[in-house]
Amino acid sequence: MMDAETAALLAQSLERAFRDPDVKEVEAALDEVGWREALDAEGAAVVPLLFARQGAANAASGALDDLLVSSLGLPAGPGTAFVLPEFGTFAPPGSVRSGGLAVRGLGGARTAAADRAVVLAEQPDGALSAVVVDAEKLDARPVGGVDPRLGLAAIEVRDVPAPGGAPITRAAWDAALAAGRLALAHELIGASRTMLRLAREHAVTRVQFGKPIGAFQAVRHRLAECLVAVEGAEAAATAAIGADGEVSPLLAGIAKAVAGRCARTVARHCQQVLAGVGFTEEHDFHRYFRRVLTLDGLLGDARTLTRSLGEDLLRERRLPAAPPL
Amino acid sequence: MDLQEFRTGLDAWLDEHEPELRADFGPDVTFDAEIRHLSKVKRMTFDAGWMRRGWPERVGGLGGSTLMRAYLGEALASRDMIEPGIYSMTEVLAPTMIEFARPELAAQMVPRLLRGDETWCQGFSEPSTGSNLGSLACRARRDGDVWRVSGQKVWTSLAQYAHRCVLLTRTGPPESGSRGITALFADMDSPGITVRPIRAMHGRDEFCEVFFDDVRVPADRTLGEVDGGWAIAMDLLPYERSTSLWHRGAYLRQRLGHLLASAPDGALDPAELGEVVQMAFAFHARSRATQHRMARGERLGPETSIDKVLLATTEQAVFDLVAGAVPAAVALGGDADGDRWRTEFLYSRAATIYGGSAEIQRDIIARRLLDLGDGR
Repeated sequence: MMDAETAALLAQSLERAFRDPDVKEVEAALDEVGWREALDAEGAAVVPLLFARQGAANAASGALDDLLVSSLGLPAGPGTAFVLPEFGTFAPPGSVRSGGLAVRGLGGARTAAADRAVVLAEQPDGALSAVVVDAEKLDARPVGGVDPRLGLAAIEVRDVPAPGGAPITRAAWDAALAAGRLALAHELIGASRTMLRLAREHAVTRVQFGKPIGAFQAVRHRLAECLVAVEGAEAAATAAIGADGEVSPLLAGIAKAVAGRCARTVARHCQQVLAGVGFTEEHDFHRYFRRVLTLDGLLGDARTLTRSLGEDLLRERRLPAAPPL
Repeated sequence: MDLQEFRTGLDAWLDEHEPELRADFGPDVTFDAEIRHLSKVKRMTFDAGWMRRGWPERVGGLGGSTLMRAYLGEALASRDMIEPGIYSMTEVLAPTMIEFARPELAAQMVPRLLRGDETWCQGFSEPSTGSNLGSLACRARRDGDVWRVSGQKVWTSLAQYAHRCVLLTRTGPPESGSRGITALFADMDSPGITVRPIRAMHGRDEFCEVFFDDVRVPADRTLGEVDGGWAIAMDLLPYERSTSLWHRGAYLRQRLGHLLASAPDGALDPAELGEVVQMAFAFHARSRATQHRMARGERLGPETSIDKVLLATTEQAVFDLVAGAVPAAVALGGDADGDRWRTEFLYSRAATIYGGSAEIQRDIIARRLLDLGDGR
C-alpha cells in the first residue's frame, strides 16, 4: 500500500505532467514521473490518481495502453500501443483466420508514435491471445470525430501476418477490461469535476438581475445535482477496488456505467448554467464535453454495460453480493 | 468484539431465531402489530447483547464500533425482520440523549429505547414549520422548575405509541429564529398532550399531529443549553443521514432481490433493471464510506445530504421498477405480496419529502458544499 505522502507526491507530479497539451510531452513527463514503475509496484491503487487527473486536465496519453498491456502480463512501454475494441463495445478487436490477423478497433493517443501494438485476438477455436504486431501494419487512420484532441485512430485491416501471440485466459481479459474500465471511470469523473468547477465559477461571477446567477435556485439545484452525480460515481469507482487491491470486474463495469451517466448529467446541467459562453469554442467547457462523449464509448458505453448487467442478473435471478461493511 | 466477530455471531444467532424474528406482512397485519413486532425484535436483540454493541456503556451499551449498529440494522433488514423507517429512529433519538441530556437521565432512559420497552418520537415539524425549521412556534415558558409548553407539532412519527418525545420549542422571542430554540424531553403521558394520528397515503397511521396545551416539562428535562436547540438539531441531522440510511439501503437491496427472484419472465427490462442495480450500488458505496467515517469518530456534516439524495432517488427508482414490472400486483393485488408492493410503492413517493426534502438537501449542497452563497 502506498502511504499518503507518496500518493500526494505522485499526484502532484502527475498534475504537472498533464499540463502540456502535446501527447508526446505528456508521455515524456509520465516516463519521468515513473508511472509504469508505480503501476508495477502499487497496482490498481495508482489508477485513480492518474486517470482522475488526466480527465480533470483534458489531457491525452498512452496511460490506458500501459494499463491494459501490463494487465495482460506483457511488457508495457512508450513504444507499445494497445488496440481498443470498437467504439461502444468490448469484444476482442482481433480475430485470427487462415490468412492472418484481422483487426477492427480503435487506437488511442499513442498509436501514431508507437512501434508496435498489442492486439487481443480470438483464435478460430475461440481461445484468446495477445498478438504483438508492427504498428505500421495496422494502417491506423486518425478519426477527427467529436474529440480530435484525444487522438483516436480507426483500425480496420485484414490478413496481417501474425505470430502466435501469448495465450490469454478469459479471466485475464476480464481483469484487464476491469482495470481499463476503472481507469476510464476515474477519467470521466475527473472531467466531470472540471465541468462542475467551470460552471460553478461562472455561477458565482456572472451577474444578472443584480446578483450572481448562483443565487437562483434553478441554477443552484442543477449544480447540486452535478455534485451528487459526481460523488456517487466516485464512491462506486472507489469501491471497485477490494481490500485486497484487486479490481472486481463486476464492480468496475458498474463504476464505468455510473461514471458515464454521471458525465452526461453533469455536462447537461453545466452547459445550461454556462449558457451562451459554454456554447463557444472560446470557453473550455466544450473540450470536456467532447472528451466525456468519447470516453463513454471506450471498453463498453454506459448503455451497453447497463443492459448487459441487467441481462446477466436476469439469467442468475439474484443480486450479486455488495462489498461488506 | 470486532465487526467480523460481531457479524459471525449475529448471523448465527439470527439463523437460530429466524421463526420468532421474522415479520408478518399482508392486508391483515395492522400497524399496531408491526410496532409490537418491532419492540419484540429490539428486546430480543438487546437481551442477547447485539443491540447494545456500538453504544456507550454509560447508557446501557457494551461499547465498540458504531459499525456494529450499522450491521445489526442491515442484517435485520436483509432478513426481512424489521422495517427500517421505524427501526432506525433509535439512531437519531439515542445520540440526542447521549450528547445532550443530563448523564443520569440518559443512563436511565436510553436503555428503555434500545430494548424496545419504550417508543419515542421526535417533535420537530409544525404546521407552519416544514423545511424552515428555524421558524418553529411551539412555545415553552419557564415557570420555576418547569417549562410550560403550548403549541402544535405535526408529522410526528409514532407519537400515538410514544412514551417520550424529543421536542423543539420556542423559548426566545417569536422573531428569534434559530437562536431562540430549546430542546426538551417530554413524557407523552403528561396532562395537556393530545395526539391525533394521520392516515397516510400508504394506509398506515405513520405520523401524527401532537397538541400541547400548557404541558409541564420539568426543567431538568432540558436537552443541551437553553436557546441552544438549533445546534442540537444541526448536530443530529447528519446522523439521520448515516446509519439510518445504511439500514434503508439494505432494505432496498432486499426488496430489489425479491423482485428479481419473483418477477415473471419478461416483466423486467434488462436496461431498467441494470440501471437501478447500479444506482443501489453507488448509494451502497457512498454510504459505506460514511459509516466508516462515523466509526473513526469524524464529524459528519453537510456532505451527508449527498447520501440522502442518492438514497431517496434510489428508493423511488426501485419502486418505479416494481410498478413497471408487476403493475397488476401494485394496482390490484389483494394478497400479501401485492399489498406489500403497493404499500411500499406509495411510501416511496415520500422518500424525497421526509427527513429534509430533496430541495432542502440540494440547498444544503449548493450552500455548504459548492459554496454558492446563501442564495439571497
